[in-house]
Amino acid sequence: MHAAALNQYDPEAGRVVIDEHLGHPGIEATTLDYGQINDDMLAMLEKPHPSYFLLLLGFLTALGLGVLSLAIQVDVGIGYSGISHPIMWGFYITNFVFWVGIGHAGTLISAVFYLTRAPWRTAIYRAAEAMTVFAVMTAGLFPLLHTGRPWLAYWLIPYPNERLLWVNFKSPLLWDVFAVSTYMTVSIMFFMLGLIPDMAILRDEAMRRGQKLKALIYAPMALAWRGTNHQWVHYMRGYLIFAALATPLVFSVHSIVSWDFAMSSVPGWHTTIFAPYFVAGAIFSGLAMVMTVLIPVRVVFGLEQYISTHVVNSVCKVIIFTSVVVGYAYATEFFIAWYSGSPYERAIFYFRPFGEMTSWTLTGDHKITFPQIAFWLMVFCNVIAPIPLWRNKVRHNLVAVWIICGLINVGMWFERFNIVGSSLQHEYIPASWGEYWPTIVEVGITIGSFGFFFTLFSLFAKNLPPMAIMELKEAANPPLKNPPKEH
Amino acid sequence: MAKFTGVWATFAYLDETTETIEEVRQKGVQPTVLSPCPRHEIDHALGEPQSIVPWIALAFGALGTFIGFSLPAWTASDWVLPVSGKPILAIPPFAVIGFELTILMAAFHTLAGIALLAVIDTLRNPMPSSVKKYVRFQRDRFGVVVPCEETRIEEFTQIMKKNGAEEVHAERN
Repeated sequence: MHAAALNQYDPEAGRVVIDEHLGHPGIEATTLDYGQINDDMLAMLEKPHPSYFLLLLGFLTALGLGVLSLAIQVDVGIGYSGISHPIMWGFYITNFVFWVGIGHAGTLISAVFYLTRAPWRTAIYRAAEAMTVFAVMTAGLFPLLHTGRPWLAYWLIPYPNERLLWVNFKSPLLWDVFAVSTYMTVSIMFFMLGLIPDMAILRDEAMRRGQKLKALIYAPMALAWRGTNHQWVHYMRGYLIFAALATPLVFSVHSIVSWDFAMSSVPGWHTTIFAPYFVAGAIFSGLAMVMTVLIPVRVVFGLEQYISTHVVNSVCKVIIFTSVVVGYAYATEFFIAWYSGSPYERAIFYFRPFGEMTSWTLTGDHKITFPQIAFWLMVFCNVIAPIPLWRNKVRHNLVAVWIICGLINVGMWFERFNIVGSSLQHEYIPASWGEYWPTIVEVGITIGSFGFFFTLFSLFAKNLPPMAIMELKEAANPPLKNPPKEH
Repeated sequence: MAKFTGVWATFAYLDETTETIEEVRQKGVQPTVLSPCPRHEIDHALGEPQSIVPWIALAFGALGTFIGFSLPAWTASDWVLPVSGKPILAIPPFAVIGFELTILMAAFHTLAGIALLAVIDTLRNPMPSSVKKYVRFQRDRFGVVVPCEETRIEEFTQIMKKNGAEEVHAERN
């Protein structure tokens, strides 16, 4: 092969020809040597700057507020929240759907992009996977809380009991129990599997640097990993199997979450588009959260060689794609509501953008209402705000990307609220239309959920390698005494 | 600690490591190789070793499918809950549980299989404790461990040195 053709577009092959001995185009880290990668990653785990503790304090304060609100909610009872007939699913289910969605990016990046051999995933997949684990843990709290008596949540598990009762496997809500718990278990196992060789690196580096206490802490987490060919052969084959198993999970989890809604006969929910619509939205919001979190990490730790503009650019392209899918789904919902001829469907899609519930009025003049704000924020943040990303120049501007991704996070939360709240608000009989206003504990718990997520992520970023050291080495140029001459 | 007789060496370069592996294998000995990350070049030199992990995943995935369909079917028969004349044993809703348990069982046993097989292979291919004390295999060095009779130690030492080994250690236990 001619040297000039490597890592460049080859018209004959119809693709970029990648030579593993030259690294991947656009990812400078692939030109670093193994020792340098170790040192860079370990530098991130050194004693943090005081500003880190300040940031952590902020997240812990939010978490504290959430815990206090949770205590009040559990002590007083579910009646203390704003949820009441007909809107029986309020902030809690909105938060559940939102956080499960955030949890989609990690497995997408670690499993789906692993199978499709996307080299840019290497630098970001560990952090995205951690995000998945923390987001699904956060999400899991909400259905438990929403049951009203979370201490009886084990009733959702099918086990032989003295009442001779079994759970109803035909209910989408039970599918959700299985889907979310399977997703969380597999995500945690996948995360742990990826960490094993890296913990061995930390153990041996601590030994090399004479830090015996650290080595003692890391050793059990490394599970006696030595990096022998016997270990690698099972590890790599198992990792591939894990990726293959996790890939359908990515698409199934939010499909099943969407069926919580779509299996009912509520106007605005009962639609076949919900599964792909929710999955696209989940990937969209998850990737936006990855960028929201990783752009500051890149700046703070100086990781330009690892989280390069090429990596950011690639994530942005997936965000653009999912944004278009989500925008198309919004339009399809309106079209189908009109095309169905059902007055109830048509009504709900009139109420969403032009809602009339005066009790939700924020301005006092009865012109702008809360559902309207939720709807238009959703459209603006998810469809209009990502449009600048079509420009290459914007995708290379980190500040612009970070702001757009932040807006997408806001938009996706409001999308979930829009689906949950506005549909329940207007069911079939106008006499049973209702209203919903969240109470202070619901707002507190929502803020607390962000505190919980970001506290866990901050602790992760300083205590475990936020990038997969082993995979960075695998993607890097191997040390060769006699590199091939044509290169 | 398992007794070990043989030679082990460290290498800074991948190509030198693979050349050593090939030469050692030509002499009729299968070495154990240590590396900071998996490399296909090492697998090629070792003769493409295979793992049975996919079979473990397949077997337990099938078991998960069986449990995922049979548990809802059995509970539906045990506590009959008629709703609007719909079938008591309904396959489509049970498929969701079947799918989830397939993935869960396969994933869990894949992880368990990796751990168990790594332990079994480590026990089958013992290494001297001096290898475990060398802390650069996780950083930037490759290692080749050759178990052999005491009479062949010199032969393998020469192969390692010829191929550019940084350090060569002979172990006699």
